Amino acid sequence: MALVEPGPLAITSGEDTSDFTPLGVFARPVKPRAPWRAWLFTVDHKKIGIMYGAAAMFFFIIGGSEALLIRAQLWAPRGTLLSAELYNQVFTMHGTTMVFLVVMPIGAAFANYLMPLQIGARDVAFPRINAFSFWAFLAGGLFLNSSWLFGGGADGGWFMYAPNSGVLFSPGHGIDFWNLGLIITGIASLTGAVNLIVTVLNLRCPGMSLMRMPIFTWMTLVTQFLLLFAIPVLTAAQFLLMFDRLFGANFFNVKSGGNPLLWEHLFWVFGHPEVYLMILPAFGLVSEILPVFARKPIFGYPFIVFSGIAIGFMGWGVWAHHMFVSGIGPISVTTFSLTTMFIAVPTGVKILNWTATMWGGKLKFTTPMLFSIGLVAMFTIGGLSGVTHSVAPADTQQTDTYYIVAHFHYVLFGGAFLGFMGGMYFFWPKAFGYLLNEALGKTNFWLMLLGFNLTFGPMHILGLQGMSRRIYTYDAGYGFEIWNKVATIGAFTLASSVALFLFNIFYSRAKAKNLPAPGPDPWDARTIEWMIPSPVPEYNYDPIPTVTRIDDFWYRKYEETPDHRLVRTHTTEEVCQTGDSTGVHLPSPSYWPIVLAFGLPLVAYGLIYTLWLSMLGGLVVVAAIYGWALESPDAPGGAHGGHDDHHEPDSGGEADPSLEAGVDATGGAVSESDPSTDDGAVADDREVETVG
Amino acid sequence: MAPLLMIERLRPLAESAIKEGLAAEFGHVEANTNTGISNTKLAMWIFLASECLLFGGLITTYLLYKTPLTIEQGPAPKQVYDIPFTSVSSFVLLMSSLTMVLAVAAIERGDHHRLRTWLAGTALLGGTFIAGQIYEFTAFKSEGMGYTTSRSSSAFYTLTGFHGVHVTVGIIMLVSLLLLSLRGRLPEHRAETVEVVGLYWHFVDVVWIVIFAVVYLIP
Amino acid sequence: MSTETATTIPTDALDGADKAYPRERQYVWVALALGALTCIEIATYAAPGFPMWSWGDKAGLITVLMILMAVKFWTVAYFFMHLKFDKPILTRLFYAGLVLAVLVYLAVLTMFNVWWPGHH
Repeated sequence: MALVEPGPLAITSGEDTSDFTPLGVFARPVKPRAPWRAWLFTVDHKKIGIMYGAAAMFFFIIGGSEALLIRAQLWAPRGTLLSAELYNQVFTMHGTTMVFLVVMPIGAAFANYLMPLQIGARDVAFPRINAFSFWAFLAGGLFLNSSWLFGGGADGGWFMYAPNSGVLFSPGHGIDFWNLGLIITGIASLTGAVNLIVTVLNLRCPGMSLMRMPIFTWMTLVTQFLLLFAIPVLTAAQFLLMFDRLFGANFFNVKSGGNPLLWEHLFWVFGHPEVYLMILPAFGLVSEILPVFARKPIFGYPFIVFSGIAIGFMGWGVWAHHMFVSGIGPISVTTFSLTTMFIAVPTGVKILNWTATMWGGKLKFTTPMLFSIGLVAMFTIGGLSGVTHSVAPADTQQTDTYYIVAHFHYVLFGGAFLGFMGGMYFFWPKAFGYLLNEALGKTNFWLMLLGFNLTFGPMHILGLQGMSRRIYTYDAGYGFEIWNKVATIGAFTLASSVALFLFNIFYSRAKAKNLPAPGPDPWDARTIEWMIPSPVPEYNYDPIPTVTRIDDFWYRKYEETPDHRLVRTHTTEEVCQTGDSTGVHLPSPSYWPIVLAFGLPLVAYGLIYTLWLSMLGGLVVVAAIYGWALESPDAPGGAHGGHDDHHEPDSGGEADPSLEAGVDATGGAVSESDPSTDDGAVADDREVETVG
Repeated sequence: MAPLLMIERLRPLAESAIKEGLAAEFGHVEANTNTGISNTKLAMWIFLASECLLFGGLITTYLLYKTPLTIEQGPAPKQVYDIPFTSVSSFVLLMSSLTMVLAVAAIERGDHHRLRTWLAGTALLGGTFIAGQIYEFTAFKSEGMGYTTSRSSSAFYTLTGFHGVHVTVGIIMLVSLLLLSLRGRLPEHRAETVEVVGLYWHFVDVVWIVIFAVVYLIP
Repeated sequence: MSTETATTIPTDALDGADKAYPRERQYVWVALALGALTCIEIATYAAPGFPMWSWGDKAGLITVLMILMAVKFWTVAYFFMHLKFDKPILTRLFYAGLVLAVLVYLAVLTMFNVWWPGHH
């Protein structure tokens, strides 16, 4: 075959690795000795998902603190806590943080952790790109928030309208931090989208056709397509803004004929699909949780799938409803008013299907179930106020008031965030091996629901009374005082519910030692991720299951009698996997994703302060890309999940012959009853690319 | 253990033998994925689909801003264009697509010498295109159309600049492939790598087809 | 194996292919066709009065240029990028992005009234 060059960095994939001796410092980290190294260089989708979640919670506390500052400032008329300039920064950073650094990453956390499990894969298609996506998101988020330390946050609103966003009106660096930080997170999102789409399209287990995938996986797929197409539009707009601010271009320079509406169009063409991609993962989670605690299948699976796809499509046709008062003219206003009304239909289909799922079911009101019902109820309220916005004459009254603030918090917090809370309670045992305390969880839910409604419910009234948004204070005598006070009390109640959630985590973890382990299937759930141990072994499944229908796992446990009664046919122990495989071939950890990711903020700092730093950052980026591309696909002797490694160190990733399940020579695990292999050789795991 | 080690060592040979046998039997063997397309190729196509949105935004910006305004200081882009020169550049880029696809065909046949020739040719043609762009831009600048001169100039340079950066990245990838091949690290069973780089290169050419028509030729 | 240039490349060597890829000579023909189309494009600039595209104030020119551009785009995508010979899912994925971009940006430009005189 081809020559094997005894060079320092790499060999071509598939080649014999036994005489390969890498330079020590460039060797892939095989078995990281310190635990922190295991996390820093991991390419395992589960660790990456957990890191996304943890980082998102960290940013949630930052964004939540900014929210509390806003509410404290607005407690009484003419508040003095924040000056007008500082208030502008706080509400801008609050919105930006919550949208880009909390809701989107929690969606990514679930997509990363859960989706490969739901499709029966061992990892995503490009594990190193997956790691890079996380680290780039973190780097971008930290870079963006470092603006607080370097002269103040961005102050143009999270939507950053031009020409306010130009150097004339915002001469400080805050907006540059915003812009460059979000370009970096945009790169993270885009690479993540490509990765996850390829994963869903290519790495499904045998028998998992598209219409047998769990709803969460479907919603994730639609979300990733939305990201794929929406992020480049924002990126284009952000480059225009960057060139204006840093290099004196004339895109939004009104004196040179720059048109502010160009920014608005580009931003909202991104921005509207953006809000759908924020809610769809939560819709997916709820679609998983409700059937489990109603002990009924999801009502109308194809309708839920197609309505999700419809939302994805139609979301591209409504963006200018954010611009009804921007002077776009009556024809445009009418058109977008109509399209916006239509988009309520697929969401309404989902609400009906969820309700029908619960109807006649044996409901069990666990914490995840409460949060899911909470989403259905709160999102309905938020959706209804959204429909009132679609009526353009009414929106002319509502826009730029607190009525809008109420709407989007109902759909984003009451919708997406409650859904994520439910998902966290539901999937916590699967990921961490212990259940979160139910009593604390229920208290968490009710406190959060109360605080949330106290905070945002009154904003409907405030908005219709005429209280402007994005303004640092209000005068006495308009009747705004009482509801602002209620909202502020609600906000602090909400904060205490978040604190309770965090307390629940530590409390449950401490108490878990004295409680029985939850096992693989504590909720008696329906989809295949519940048939593997909790916490999930590094290699996920062994063997990769073959599915024959939707809710395949449920029907391994239960059977329906002719008179529609459920009969348990197998115990949990019989159908669940034991997770004691050894010698499963896994992709190796790598240094390059994190190196590449942290080269990007260097470039960004350089663009703001000194181009030499950008050059340095650029060198880091280029070096990392080459190191990555030339890296060996697996470290010799490395890359094994499982508990025992019986083989010799330089065997290049051999399978352990003592494995009972009968792993074949390539290290892939046996698939269950794979019909195409009747001679003992088994189907390989779906290929995990050496490029990524 | 030893038999398994032997199997590992022989695996690449065995795989290609099996592939040929199966090809004789069934027509073709697909990648071991649900779609039958390798992850890398699928990923590149998906990425190219997203690039349509990026370039679309920049083209839209140009179309919006290209109308000269009375307040503008410098010349409008239309006034400085040298269509004959740009036409030659366009030919060059178009021919580079031909050399690219010939390179892909060469490696699929296992003809490494031709592969390197065509890769080098593609990179050279791409480099010629970039040189032409740089020459054009400096000429425009000397005629009074700089980056910050007007909204139309900013839009023009940003759009063509983005395209030029994409071409440059492509040239770097081509040269990297060439070097890898020269060092014997680009065997036939990695033909897909060349094909995927080729997809990127053709897309960059396709974007130029659009830019040439929409920006330069349309009145 | 490396000396066979006359036979087609077996599709088993090609990733995700449905039909055999073209041979080198066919690529050259395609390139010549592209060159010819480009010559026509340049002719619209060199000879603007030619009847094929001098009709309608500028509409003729724009129509012809757009058609030529689309044909060249399609040719490169189908032949050089192998969309014609690969599995249809690749075509569908790429078209999804392309069609979305075209529709959305045409809508944006329409809202800016660029098709009518006197817009800003």
